[in-house]
Amino acid sequence: MNNQFDLAIIGGGPAGYVAAERAGAKGLRVVIFDKRALGGVCLNEGCIPTKTLLNSAKVLETAREAALYGIHAGSVSADFEKIMKRKDKVVRKLVAGVGAKMKHAKAEVVMDEAVIKEKRGTVITITAGGKDYQATRLLICSGSEAAVPPIPGLDSRQVLTNREILRLKGLPKNLVIIGGGVIGSEFADFFHAMGTQVTVIEMLPEILNGVDEEIAAFVRGEFTRRGICYHLQAKVTRLNGKEVLFEKDGQVHSVTGDEVLLSVGRRPNVTGIGLENIGVEFSPRGIKIDPCCRTNIPNVYAAGDVTGFSLLAHTASREGEVAVNHMLGRKDVMRYHAIPSVVYTHPEIAGVGLTESAARAQGVDVEVRRLPMAYAGRFIAENEGKDGFCKVVVGKKYREILGVHLVGGACSEMIWGACGLIEAQLRVQDAQEIVFPHPTVSEIIRETVFQFDV
Amino acid sequence: MATPVIMPRQGQSVETCIMGEWNKKTGDQVKAGDILFSYETDKASFEEEAKEDGELLAIFYQEGDEVPVLSNVAVIGRKGEGVEEFRPGGVSASAQAAGSATDEQPASATMDVAAPESDQKPAGRRAEGKSPGEIRISPRAKLRAGQFGIPYEQVEGSGPHGRILARDVEAAAGTLPHLTTLAREKAEAEGLTPAKETTALGGRTGAADLVATNPVYGDDYEVKKLSNMRKLIARAMHQSLQNSAQLTHHMGADARQIMALRKRFKKKYEAGEISRNITINDLVCYAVIRALRKFPQVNTHFTGDSMRWFRKVHLGLAVDTDRGLMVPVVKNADDLSLEGLSGQLSSVAGQCRKGNVDPELLKPESASFTVSNLGNYGVEMFTPVINLPQTAILGVCAIVPRPADLGGGVYGFAPFMGLSLTYDHRALDGGEATLFLKEIKEQIENLSV
Repeated sequence: MNNQFDLAIIGGGPAGYVAAERAGAKGLRVVIFDKRALGGVCLNEGCIPTKTLLNSAKVLETAREAALYGIHAGSVSADFEKIMKRKDKVVRKLVAGVGAKMKHAKAEVVMDEAVIKEKRGTVITITAGGKDYQATRLLICSGSEAAVPPIPGLDSRQVLTNREILRLKGLPKNLVIIGGGVIGSEFADFFHAMGTQVTVIEMLPEILNGVDEEIAAFVRGEFTRRGICYHLQAKVTRLNGKEVLFEKDGQVHSVTGDEVLLSVGRRPNVTGIGLENIGVEFSPRGIKIDPCCRTNIPNVYAAGDVTGFSLLAHTASREGEVAVNHMLGRKDVMRYHAIPSVVYTHPEIAGVGLTESAARAQGVDVEVRRLPMAYAGRFIAENEGKDGFCKVVVGKKYREILGVHLVGGACSEMIWGACGLIEAQLRVQDAQEIVFPHPTVSEIIRETVFQFDV
Repeated sequence: MATPVIMPRQGQSVETCIMGEWNKKTGDQVKAGDILFSYETDKASFEEEAKEDGELLAIFYQEGDEVPVLSNVAVIGRKGEGVEEFRPGGVSASAQAAGSATDEQPASATMDVAAPESDQKPAGRRAEGKSPGEIRISPRAKLRAGQFGIPYEQVEGSGPHGRILARDVEAAAGTLPHLTTLAREKAEAEGLTPAKETTALGGRTGAADLVATNPVYGDDYEVKKLSNMRKLIARAMHQSLQNSAQLTHHMGADARQIMALRKRFKKKYEAGEISRNITINDLVCYAVIRALRKFPQVNTHFTGDSMRWFRKVHLGLAVDTDRGLMVPVVKNADDLSLEGLSGQLSSVAGQCRKGNVDPELLKPESASFTVSNLGNYGVEMFTPVINLPQTAILGVCAIVPRPADLGGGVYGFAPFMGLSLTYDHRALDGGEATLFLKEIKEQIENLSV
């Protein structure tokens, strides 16, 4: 087996392994490197494990509310150890699945840390595990790491990131979460459901930066009602072990947890992979790419978190696909205006496209309509005592759908349809021709669309 | 007796029709009621029946030709009968298509050979190098292009003179990018055309892929949106030139005194006697402030029907930064010593370059007069633009050697600093402005601190 390949992929996460699948399906000889585990952060320490945990929390919630639906479930409790074990099982299964996909794509998998050595003419050399591999094309998907800001007193052995918190053996009684973004909010939801006392410290005036502000406020209101404690516009100034000192309204406050979770963002992995050896243009914010996912070096591409733009697994996969399409000479270009984002808390949040505030900030003239979930019959049938709403953002002049934002129930599974509306550049009158199944919660999108004048 | 076949007139306003396919060829026997050919107007296509029996003796127009209504398009009769009396205009259809006009025509039997051009051009290829005005397209083809949602400018026409026909559009529909409904609506509403590069779903032309000009010519530039700062500067400069009556006077000032002063201060600075390294610009600004105190009518703002006469000198300095031109002010500059002025000028220029200058200091209303020094760049003379509502601006230029009277009938070279004063003639007259400029020159030439 010689070490000459058509495509070398650094990173076996959602960008890398999907690209390997697509390239392999078209007959390219692929070698894919990962220093930890196939599936990357998403599969091992991110998306999949957290969704598995949150599902257990959802089952617990449903069981506890069973009486509302005329079911007597007796006493219901959560077994933290069992929940974590199941999460590990799911992760193992899916990692094996990715391995099977790589076999099917006839891609060589190298479980070693890869470093770009050099580029001579058309040949790129990668070193991994003491061996040299050569390829005519390179795709860099080295992903991202949890950002650790230089807070005085921060001891990385005492503070958890998403990686360590997923390996906890016992349920903490108190949990302090620094950062009220998506990751922080999902962990807050899960641990609170398990019985932990959760405190969230957020620097901005509202949690879930990027999500429609009304939706973020709605979720925070719901979480506060359940007993999660929030400190907004609070800046962490110091850590003493597991005591967190923060400044709010000009005063210094302190809160201590059995565990402290740091979830203030993610940093692209641009160092230590040899980018300088071939002159790839990058900054601490990520590797610079064009709409075809090309870097400044011919035949070198980048996809996923390492490009630092949209740090989502599905964006990563699509970027990987755009890169492979470009390699194969197929016309394809990456677009970012219809990338869905989901927060898997309960209630779920799902949105795509421009929020009302983002549109105004960009000077885009829009009209917005909003309806409560109560307008969808099935929501009432299946969500006793719960609430939610749908917001649709439309361009004022041409009535094209620019954004759809939902909170409530299991709205994550219906947002892809809204992505389709936006990608096809459908106007209100076009979208009104689409038939939605009845009764479904998704009909709320249709109802909201019909609130606009055509 | 042979009879002509006439192109019918379909409707009052129709002047011409496009000849479609011929069902019969010359030499064929036709019966009354047989379909001879089809033709199209911009509204519809029609089929023409033979009005009588006979042999199709001649065909004057080929498929794709534009035919004036009521022209003779063919002749039906008995074999051997003459057709020349029916021939329209003396110029044959094939001769037209071949691009040459001749009066002598070959025998009628050869007339139904299709024009070489329409045979050779494959329909559906992209047309290069045509501006919107040059594109010839049949109304029906235009309609079809709209139905398919494709940009017809990019379709190669197979009709006469490259005219795009419906069949060309239909052939191209498979290969050219389609527009989304939004893009189609926007293109029509704003008069835009699809660009060559498409970025929407499935290679479609999306709303973001529409351009104002013919995309074929638009390839060799990149559109870069202006930064906010650039927009502000653009607006201010344009407004200044549009809303004032500015002109520039140039004068040279003997720079020997000022250069000697600079040398002296440099020595003092190096010896630690003064805290600042005084630059030529500092000295010039110092001189300008003195001149302004003698010419209060220049230390003013022009506000349409009145002028603000400032009691103090607020000196604006033009500073070049990465993001563009900034003009911060040193307030009450006439209260400052030379060292103080030097410190202020340097400090405020530094703040501009760093990006942390107080925005109040950048307002043109904050300064009463501005100095713009391009001496370091080697500019010998220029026409600076006034920072309205100020009345004037002094451009300081490079020091160049010029012949001078060194005294006692001896001529030699002396260093001269160019001074370019732009003033608003609505506020000041030429004489005043010149006297002011002369005052600056004299202050510079005789500067003592």
